[in-house]
Parts: sequence; structure tokens; C-alpha cells
Amino acid sequence: MEMAPALDRLLERVGAGERLSAAEIADLAATPDILALGMMADTVRRRLHGTRVTYLRVAGCAFDASFAECVPPAAREIRIGGAPGTLAVAVAAVRSARAIAGERTVSGFSWPDVEALAARGRTALPDALRELRAAGLDALAEVPIDGVTDLDAVVAVLAETGFERLRLTCAQAPPAERTALLLRAAAAQDRAGGIHVLNPLPTVVTSARPTTGYEDVKAVALARLAAPNIPTIQVDWLRYGPKLAQVALTFGADDLDNVTASDAAPDGHRRAPVQEVRRNIEAAALSPAERDGRFNVI
Amino acid sequence: MVERLIARAADDARITREQALALYRQAPTLALGRAADAIRARKHPGRIVTYIIDRNVNYTNVCLARCNFCAFYRPVGSAEGYVLGFEEIFRKIDDTVAVGGNQLLLQGGHNPDLPIDWYEDLFRAVKARYPAFRLHALSPPEVLHISRINRIPVPDVIARLVAAGLDSIPGGGAEILVDRVRRLLNCYSKASADEWLDVMRQAHRAGLRSTATMMYGSVETDEERVEHLFRLRDLQDETRGFTAFITWSYQPEHTERGGTEATGVEYLRTLALARLVLDNFDNLQASWVTQGGKVGQLSLAYGANDMGSVMIEENVVRAAGASYCMDEVEIVTNIEDAGFIPKRRNMHYEILGDPIFRERDLPRMLALGTARAEGDASLPEELQRYQARSRAGKQLRLAH
Ligand code: SF4
Repeated sequence: MEMAPALDRLLERVGAGERLSAAEIADLAATPDILALGMMADTVRRRLHGTRVTYLRVAGCAFDASFAECVPPAAREIRIGGAPGTLAVAVAAVRSARAIAGERTVSGFSWPDVEALAARGRTALPDALRELRAAGLDALAEVPIDGVTDLDAVVAVLAETGFERLRLTCAQAPPAERTALLLRAAAAQDRAGGIHVLNPLPTVVTSARPTTGYEDVKAVALARLAAPNIPTIQVDWLRYGPKLAQVALTFGADDLDNVTASDAAPDGHRRAPVQEVRRNIEAAALSPAERDGRFNVI
Repeated sequence: MVERLIARAADDARITREQALALYRQAPTLALGRAADAIRARKHPGRIVTYIIDRNVNYTNVCLARCNFCAFYRPVGSAEGYVLGFEEIFRKIDDTVAVGGNQLLLQGGHNPDLPIDWYEDLFRAVKARYPAFRLHALSPPEVLHISRINRIPVPDVIARLVAAGLDSIPGGGAEILVDRVRRLLNCYSKASADEWLDVMRQAHRAGLRSTATMMYGSVETDEERVEHLFRLRDLQDETRGFTAFITWSYQPEHTERGGTEATGVEYLRTLALARLVLDNFDNLQASWVTQGGKVGQLSLAYGANDMGSVMIEENVVRAAGASYCMDEVEIVTNIEDAGFIPKRRNMHYEILGDPIFRERDLPRMLALGTARAEGDASLPEELQRYQARSRAGKQLRLAH
């Protein structure tokens, strides 16, 4: 049961702590041997995190809804959803989220949304970001690599305006373009740092073109291999569901984002989401640890 | 030690129960997958992954057995009980033929009011109308049930059904072939482990081929799961009658037993283990019906070489909460996306050809059919011709 010798050699090099080149990552993207890919990614993941898998309980709440009503006590982060029409509305939403957040983090909006808000209000982008930050926004919910033209500039302006530990996502790039995005993220991290999370699975999925299981685990493994300099490879629990999210943990992911914060089971015989998450992590022979929005294990 | 075991298993050495257990408990998931994949690649070197277009028809949901893991059955006399009429079944066959199908997978509850002549007449009628159509029908507990209520020995039941048109037997009702587990699941009386295996033995002796299944993740221990696989391996050594193995997780919703479903990683590990133990089985099916399309597709890296059935209808798993649908286009997309070559097959795993939708226009199928439209409690006319045994069944026939 030999792997193709080329993959074997790559696995050895990854095991020795070597980082694969951009060209090697691009080649790996074409292999159907997802298990070899997974083994390499798992090697990197274990070096960085051991068997630990963190998860974050998030209360998602539309910017115009009542935060008091949609934020259960167990939430560790409030995530503001939707795209407000003006910067003032966005700032007001952040303030009301902040008011009930206490110590908890508040995240919201995507990079393209904020750009649009600034442009519409004829506000300079850094000023808009500063205003949101001052109102209590801790993080942008999404910085889609495929939604920005100059990633270095984005990383720089976010750092400058007080946003730390960035979370990069992929919005809808097809698999053929995704590898290049992952490599862009790794290169940006090399140059400036400040990126904490890479979430490689599309945040926009249409039913006309759903992703496949192979595609998903490959993207996760490639992200882990392409960006050993970014601490965390993350999967969205709610969007991708327990089965795929759990398998992704064996392909290099170490963090589950967007676990439902409500403790009540959705119906009579199912278990509360947090128990489901822990059960799935443990069944993959990994160790669950809850974290807060600042990446501190609780 | 686990590493050595993995290498040995992948190299075709027969593994023991103890080794199987050690692998299941200790081997890393990806390594277990690699060993299973190596065996898959050796048995199917052309990177071909097969699937079948057939229809899963449940002719009745009335059942005496009352397995506590089953969300599908209705007790005798229930207002929600149904028996499909011959005409309804013909219409389902017409639909199946229209999308390129050539077989019905026909299974149902243990209905006391369907004597053996009902089955014989149905099979004969199907074969008279659709001579080339295949009947993959009646899992071992159903065969036993027919044997018991008609007081006819199993080999004779099989002979009569074959004479009427039965082509092969599905491997349902196996659950876990350990009597301790079967008692806990309340399915011991429908068929003990030995009885299930013996029906298969008789069927294989009569020249029928069959599949074998395993429902894991209810109350069994790891040892019992392994025991199940070994009992299948032993019978296969004896008869060579099994064409394929299919495993799926217990689906707890809406069942009397309840509980939680085993996770996706456990499915992939169980599948890979089955590939390592069942060295005398050629084919392993992916259960995307219980695992969803994504883990279903990933099965192809963990030992599976078949995507099972393009489902046109499904009632049993749906009753327990899961509801996934894939039409031929989607099955084929998933196979190709994983780097395999899709081929249509029949129940004997003979290749029939390339995807049908590439040969002619087919309607996309985005939702599964059901046995019957909801609320349809009509009684098929021909049922009057067959003697009911239960009191409820007798009354129903008098009332019409
Ligand atoms: S599993 Fe089959 S035998 Fe058991 S109750 Fe359900 S229909 Fe009846």
C-alpha cells in the first residue's frame, strides 16, 4: 500500500517540519489522493495544536433585530448579520450589541460591506473602520480573500484601525481558484502577520453548485499545508454540518466556528448543540476545548 | 503494532477478530482509510465506481415485528397502515423504466394479511408485463415471515418465489448478527442471527445472489460489530453468494429506542474496517442515504467502490429523520469529482454502460418519491382475493 513515491517524499518533508513551496501546493491540489493530503495536513495540525479542537459558540443576530432577544447567555460572541444601508445604522447596531455583550466579543459585517458603507457615506475607509471599532466592534465577520483586490493593503488598514487576529474567508471561488487564494493568504501573513484564522470553505454556496465532500476536505488540507504560518484552520459548524465538519478535523482543521449558542435542544430528542459538537470531536479521537472570541480557551 | 497490522491488512493477509478490533479502536482514521483504499484499488483496478438505477419500493408498512429501532412500520390495524396495489407498483415500475432503471428493490413489513400467493401473483404479474425487469426482493426476515405464516419450509418458500420471478435477495434485516443485540433491539424474534444467515445460505444454494448489510451504532459493542463482519465473512467463504456489503448507521429519530446517531468519522472507520475484514466480498456500497452526499462521496476513499442506488423512492430512512436525495446527474458528478469513472451496473455488478443522462434527456429529480401520497389509505382491489389472518385485516376486507 505504497503511496505514490512523490507524495511519500512530501509527507516525509512535512513530517520533518518543512514548509511546502507554492508550486508543490498547486501540484497537490490536483491529486485525487485525499488521504495522503490529509495525512500531511494532519501532521502540521498536530505539530501546531496537538489533538486540541477549539469551538466558538456564536449568537448570530441581524443588525436590525433585538439583540437582547437573540443572544443566549451561553454565547461567547455576538455576530451581527446582514448589510446595513448606512454607516450610522451599522454603528448603532454595534452599539446595541456591545451594550449587552459584556466581556464577549462583537463581530459583524464583511470587508466588501464596510467598503460599500464608507463609499456611500463618503467617509474614508480607515475612518469608517475606526468608527466601528470605537463603537465596540471587535472583528469583521468576514474578510473574503476573493472579495479584496489588495490583501496586503486590507491587512494593513485593519491593523492600523485596531482590528487584531484577522479571520480570512473564501466567499465563492471555485476549487480551481481556491488554492491561489490560500497561497495569497500565506504570503500576506509572511509579509505583515496579524492573520489568525483561515477559513477555506466557501461562505456562499448555491444549491445549483453545492461543494462536494472531496472538494471540501481537500480545501481544508490545502489550507493547512499552504499556510502553516497562520495558526488556525477553521470550519463553520452550522453551515457545513456535523458530518463534514467532523471529518474536516481529521484533514487539518483545528477550530469549529459558529456553533449555535442556544443550549436548548432544537427538538425533543436531539441533544444540545454544544454536546453534539463535543461528541463529534471526541469521536474523531480529538479533544474539545471551548474558546472565546479572542481565541482564549475557557 | 497497529502500523504493522495496517500494512498486513492492506497486503491481503487475512485478519483475525482480535486484529480487526485493534485496528478499529486504535488505527488513525486516515491510515485505516489508506489500507481499505489499497484493497479497493486492488479489487477494482480500473478506477471504476458503479451505481444502479433502481427503485426502492416498500409494498407494506404493516409489521408484526415492531423492532424498536424502526420508524417506518405501523402495527397491524393502524389507520396509517398500507399495502400497495399491483397497479400502483406497475406505475412505479413505469417511472423507473423511464429514468433508465431496470430493477425494483422490494421490501416491506411483516404483514400477516399477505399470504404467499400474494407475492407469487405480484411477481408473476410484474414478469408478465416487464419480462426484462429484475426483482431484488424480500430480505431474510421477510422470507422467514412468509415461511412461518404459510407453514412452508424456507427452501420451499424460496423455490416458489424464484419460480414466480424472484431474481435476488437484499441483505436487509441483518442489523447486528449477534443475538444479544437482536434481543435488545426487539428483532430477535423476526430472525435470530443464525436464522438470518441460514435464509441466505438457502438462497445462495438455490442459486440466488444477495447482498449483506449491517446497521451499526445502536446498542452493540465494538466486539459485536466485528463479530457481525466475521459471521458474514464465514458464510461468504462457504457459499460465495454475496455480491456486496452495505453498512449504515442507526437512524434514531422517531424511533421507540431513540438515542443519537453515530458520527461521520465512525461511519468511515466502520466502512474501512469492513473492507479489511470482508476480504472475500468484491463490492462495498457507500451509504449516502444515511451519511449525506459529502461523506457518501468520501466513502470512495475509505473502501467503497459503489455509490449504491440512484434513489427514486425511499421511505424507511426518511421515516427516521434523514432525507438526502441524489439523482443520476449528482451521483455521476460526485464519482467523477473524486477521480473515478462512473458506470451503470445491474444487481450482479455487471456493467451496463455509461450514464443514461448522457445518452438521452432525463428529467432532473430533486426530491425523492414516497410509497404513497400522504393520507392515501386506499385499499387495493385485488387484496380482496387474499385471505387475511389478522382480525383487523379481516374486518378491513369485509368493510370494502
Ligand atoms: S425493521 Fe422491518 S421487521 Fe422491523 S419493525 Fe421495521 S419493518 Fe418491521
